[in-house]
Amino acid sequence: MRPISYTRAGTLEAAVKAFTAAGADARYLAGGTTLYDLMKLGVERPAHLIDLTGIAGLNIIETDGDVLRFGALALMGDVAYTPAVHEGYPVLSESLLKAASQQLRNMATVGGNLLQRTRCMYFRNGAGSTSTVGVYPCNRRQPGSGCAAIGGLDRGHAVLGASDACTAVSPGDWPVALMAMDATIELFGPGGARSIPIAEFYRLPSDTPHLQFNVDPAELITAITVPKTPGRASTYHKIRDRESFAFALASAAVAVEMDGATVRTARIALGGVATVPWRAQPAEDMVRGKTLTPELALEAGRAAFRGARPGQHNAFKMDLGARVIADALMIAAERRS
Amino acid sequence: MPAEVFSAIPRVDARDKVLGNAQYGADVILPGMLYAMLVPARIAKGTMRELDITPATQIAGVIRVLTSKDVSSLAPKISFLGQPIALVVAETIEAAIEGAEALNPVYEKVSFIPLMEGPGATRVPAEGFDAGDVDTAFRDAATIIEGEFETPTQHHNPIELFGTVAEWSGERLTVYEGCQNTEAVKSALAQAFNLSPELVAIKSAYVGGGFGQKSPPKLQTALVAYAARLMQRPVKLVTPRGQLFHITSYRPRSVHHIRLAANASGRMTAISHDVVQENIPNGAFRSSGYHQDIARLYSIENFRATAGDIHIDRQTPRHTRGTHPFPACFALESAIDELAYALGKDPVQIRLDHEAKTDIIARQPLSPHFLNECLTEGARRFDWSRRTPEPGSMRLRDGTMVGLGVACGLFGASGSAAETTLRVRADGTTRVISSGHEMGQGIRTAIANTIVQRLNINPDRLEILIGDTTVGPQMATVGERGTASIVPVTAKAAQALRARFEELAGANPPAGDLHEQLARLKRPYIEVTVSELAPGQDASAIQGFRTAGRAAGAGADYPGFTSMSYIAQFVEIHIEPRTRRIRMPLAVSIADIGRVVSPVTAKGQMYGGMVWGFSTALREETEIDPRFAGYLNDDLADYVMAVNADIGEIDVGLIDKPDPMVNSAGVKGMGELVMLGTAPAIANAIYHATGKRIRKLPIRIEDVL
Repeated sequence: MRPISYTRAGTLEAAVKAFTAAGADARYLAGGTTLYDLMKLGVERPAHLIDLTGIAGLNIIETDGDVLRFGALALMGDVAYTPAVHEGYPVLSESLLKAASQQLRNMATVGGNLLQRTRCMYFRNGAGSTSTVGVYPCNRRQPGSGCAAIGGLDRGHAVLGASDACTAVSPGDWPVALMAMDATIELFGPGGARSIPIAEFYRLPSDTPHLQFNVDPAELITAITVPKTPGRASTYHKIRDRESFAFALASAAVAVEMDGATVRTARIALGGVATVPWRAQPAEDMVRGKTLTPELALEAGRAAFRGARPGQHNAFKMDLGARVIADALMIAAERRS
Repeated sequence: MPAEVFSAIPRVDARDKVLGNAQYGADVILPGMLYAMLVPARIAKGTMRELDITPATQIAGVIRVLTSKDVSSLAPKISFLGQPIALVVAETIEAAIEGAEALNPVYEKVSFIPLMEGPGATRVPAEGFDAGDVDTAFRDAATIIEGEFETPTQHHNPIELFGTVAEWSGERLTVYEGCQNTEAVKSALAQAFNLSPELVAIKSAYVGGGFGQKSPPKLQTALVAYAARLMQRPVKLVTPRGQLFHITSYRPRSVHHIRLAANASGRMTAISHDVVQENIPNGAFRSSGYHQDIARLYSIENFRATAGDIHIDRQTPRHTRGTHPFPACFALESAIDELAYALGKDPVQIRLDHEAKTDIIARQPLSPHFLNECLTEGARRFDWSRRTPEPGSMRLRDGTMVGLGVACGLFGASGSAAETTLRVRADGTTRVISSGHEMGQGIRTAIANTIVQRLNINPDRLEILIGDTTVGPQMATVGERGTASIVPVTAKAAQALRARFEELAGANPPAGDLHEQLARLKRPYIEVTVSELAPGQDASAIQGFRTAGRAAGAGADYPGFTSMSYIAQFVEIHIEPRTRRIRMPLAVSIADIGRVVSPVTAKGQMYGGMVWGFSTALREETEIDPRFAGYLNDDLADYVMAVNADIGEIDVGLIDKPDPMVNSAGVKGMGELVMLGTAPAIANAIYHATGKRIRKLPIRIEDVL
């Protein structure tokens, strides 16, 4: 039997200490919805699991202060249905509720969700486990082995932020909403506590697609904070191959502040089309200070995809993504008040 | 007897299923049981040169690794990715998996043909068919519609995986496994182990979805049985879905070139249908079968079918729910929609105008059937009259494009010789020893309803024994013939039992139900065994039934007539103006399945069939990367099937008029039928909404952007 040690940490310090002592093949365990899945597929083969779910206070949801603060262990379902979030920040709530299934949302944590691995089928299904059959090269799983998605079945793959080494899509919905809302990620590690803006959290694949996060392996996410804004005029619009239990083909997190029919500010981020949660600055610039019309909204959507690089089967995502932004802008603007 | 309408009873096994009491093959746990895992070949074609089993046998808990040295079926010659090359047997499932993953065979690869196109892919002609004078009809045609239609590779994906438990007791073998044809499994195992068939027992009381995937005997069953004999302990194998994608059968991709001729008065005069599909040499799913149902759908006298196969280096394709008529109806029913536009005719009316009376293949009459009633009733419930024919002419206020589409389907009403033993006891119980497999379709409920509506017995203490070769011969539950075969013989048994009872009780029967009457007559029980043949069969069919379930089948062309079941599907499609998301807020599905025996489970089938049809039209495709010949989306997350949130309102209806020729109960099957017609109806509705004719499934968002 391949042994796996299991440690249940009671404090952040104990967790980091256990991780550091265990070495490279240790993994932190929170909701387990990604890790166990990847272990069955042979993508993850940890020797040490450090369970964080016993750390007190790490699941607290605070909405009364200057910022919204979500403890890393707060469950996706709980955050989504927190009244201040559900009513005041539809973009956050919808991004959680349009992800996975209710069962998974009742297990998965909002911190762990930031670290979800790509759904690229070559990444997941090519690791040689008995759960599946194919054996596929993947630079993300095995650095230097090549990328089967490039020149392969890449309908689901990224058109933005891809490199010659990897075109895998960042799968999340919640991180896209957080990207639009300029969230900050609080971390704790061997060097103590620190925080970074979410924009610095994710790495483009470049020639090192196996390095996805600007985080030390021993570091833990402890909380996510979101600046308070008039967030009601927002939405997370997600288009997928079926109406639930599916990842985005293209999604947009949009929050606007309006002066009558004029856009004062727009925050726009894209999911399902890029290798990382993708802030669409060109789209934001295009609508700022202008009267929002469906035509302008579509033009902004198109602007977000300038410079996009499609593969063999995913060029439609540029068109679809632009339309998703356009619809999301109109939905968000309608919610102002 | 066929004149009687059946009232509805609840699904008899619903409570057991909800409580988890229904036992499936993989649920069986036996003392001392070992666990096994298959080792899949990781190349598409070639030879396994070396297999060192020590990395597996060194793992604690691994007891044995079976290879080609033990079993010739685990041959080193590899014909498809995922072909089993070894079976690891261990004390725990974890050790079996670890052992299987530890093996690292050395392969010699050769080039392979993964898909119908590409180097080396050549068409091998198959048998065709010709009726009437197609050439003249096309020469004289006023309107010709021509198009190429394609349906993709699709996997069945029942929720229940292949779960096998095998146990030996001396020379006696018992296998627990979900399957659609226990008798065939029994014969295959008896042959493989050189045993007398009565020493082999197959138990398949519940099947967690079959859809054709669980009809042929599986290599897995024999391997597990072999391992159990070798170890002298029970062995269990539940094969993971990712492997199942690679070793079970699947629906082959097929491309249909169809031409349709109409004369100056708008009558359809000829169909020319050419099909090519992916297959393996001598594959069991024949390309020569595609025309056989659609040639009977309408009164079109001239029909030419040509067919071919392209041999690929993958596992064998086989029957999948809807079988040949699914792709063929997609092609024909889309083409008829095109023709209706070309002629300026209503798509419902053009179908009503071509009601078939004759089977042009067997050259004989069709038994009484009611497709036109399905169309008329469907149009009424759907309010078809609100449709404005011009494509793109119907919109919601927000710009959503609305499309209304119709299409039909049909499936051969086959039957089987069958036998039933019915025993009513004084103690309040009743037992039926019957035949067939409960796959969720409701065959147990149909049997129960046939009895409780004809005999005054206690319905709560009615035991129905099926899916078990030790209780009696079990017919193959395939081609939607299960219920249609077992209901007539069950009805006959009920009648025979009542006759026996009347004989026994004389002119003044005692009061009470049959159990109470038996008690008063001081008889512990009465029992009858009866058999029934399909039309045109002789006594040899019962012999066939007793020895091998499938050999007892007959139809859909019986001596002197042909019987088909029919369905008409109406769908409303909405396409969002900007993102072009395709939704189906309403569907109406009306079927002619002869007499309806179990209204509750029949409607359940209708709902499920509509959802499956929606899924085949807009969701499902097995993705094959030609560089590897493997199935990339080999799990339920990435093989996209419809979910509840996809489905709007579904209104189902059944004509419920008996087919007086097909059997004494007037019952036809419906399991395959109910998924037919939906895909072309959806494609036709999308055309109506957008003006875009899409001839390839599944239709995805990028097709309508």
